[in-house]
Amino acid sequence: MSDLASGRVAHAAQAAFRVLVVDDDPDMAGFLALLLAQQGMHADIAADGHVALEMIAAAPPDLVLLDVQMPGPSGFDICRRLKSEDSTALLPVVLITALEDHESRVRGIEAGADDFLSKPVQREELLARVKTLRRLHETRKELEGRRLAAEVQAKEAIRKAFSRYLSPRLAERVLRESPDGEAVFRNLSERTAVVALFADLRGFTRLSETVPVSRIVPMLNEFFTELTAAAHDHEGTVFSMAGDSLLVGFNVPVPQDDAMTRAVTTARAMIERFAPVAARWKREHGLAAGIGILASVLHQSPASTAHSTCH
Amino acid sequence: MSAQPIVVTVAKDLEDLIPTFMKNRSKEVEALRAALAAGNMEQLRQLGHRMKGVGNSYGFELVSTLGKQIEDGAKAGDRAGLEARIAEYADYLARVQIVYE
Repeated sequence: MSDLASGRVAHAAQAAFRVLVVDDDPDMAGFLALLLAQQGMHADIAADGHVALEMIAAAPPDLVLLDVQMPGPSGFDICRRLKSEDSTALLPVVLITALEDHESRVRGIEAGADDFLSKPVQREELLARVKTLRRLHETRKELEGRRLAAEVQAKEAIRKAFSRYLSPRLAERVLRESPDGEAVFRNLSERTAVVALFADLRGFTRLSETVPVSRIVPMLNEFFTELTAAAHDHEGTVFSMAGDSLLVGFNVPVPQDDAMTRAVTTARAMIERFAPVAARWKREHGLAAGIGILASVLHQSPASTAHSTCH
Repeated sequence: MSAQPIVVTVAKDLEDLIPTFMKNRSKEVEALRAALAAGNMEQLRQLGHRMKGVGNSYGFELVSTLGKQIEDGAKAGDRAGLEARIAEYADYLARVQIVYE
């Protein structure tokens, strides 16, 4: 048996188009492999169906040239199997049948073959069919790549939009649990006890009168950065940021059994985070700023409303 | 039967494959004879089918022609016809001369 018939016809190119030739006749397999190698493709040979399936599972090729009549599983069996499995369903399969064998062609179509090649094999026919399938395969790969990239991009956009209001951990969970962006919000029509935390800046009116507007905006940004970070650390959802006030919700959009505890802890963290900022403002602008915080359970009967304030 | 050589032209790029190909054809004649002696028509049909496919692919037209006749003869159970075709195949292989182009 020649090297071609018994083993591999390697091609130097790393990203060569890989074809698996499955034929129990070593002369036929060697002939096909040689023609493919001459076109710069990488051809492997499998002498029977079992070996072919093992090789495909280990390293899926870009195309399979499959003889119909072989001992063990026939070309039809292998084709059917490849087409029925998700991982190989898109792998193009060319069935090699005798020229006049119309019955085999019909069976091949039923088995899901992508194309047919007649025996005896004409070089031009082989190369034309392989080139067409190669082009199709590459287009399909490119489209799949673009689709994946678009999906990642869309997800990233959603993540960014979410991250302004949700903690990164919560945004990740929303994306993970609702790939269609729906599941997590499906129960929004239900009544939920939301714990709302309202925080604002004491002394803001005075601040706006004494400090130029161009400096107020960076100061407010500083204030909101600290408070939002505290809210996100405890997986709170920012409902609104307006003027000098911040409204944060707990127990939404995902249930949090310890919502009130989270709100109180968040309030403490906000005060702690804001303290050095307030001290600096006092030094730099002579301002006595503080924050007022109210946490309260909403959407329940008034009797059960709980609230606590601290500053 | 005359001992006149039969010239077959084969593509130059197949030259490396031909020695194995010819060796396998000689083995094929033996396999055909053994199958005929055993009356194994299915084996004869398969061997004929293989000859039909591989012969012309390499440029050996008569191998394909005889292959088809052997495949058909096996299906019909035509022992005398099969014997004659196998003898013709052995004679052809003995006389064939290959020219690479």
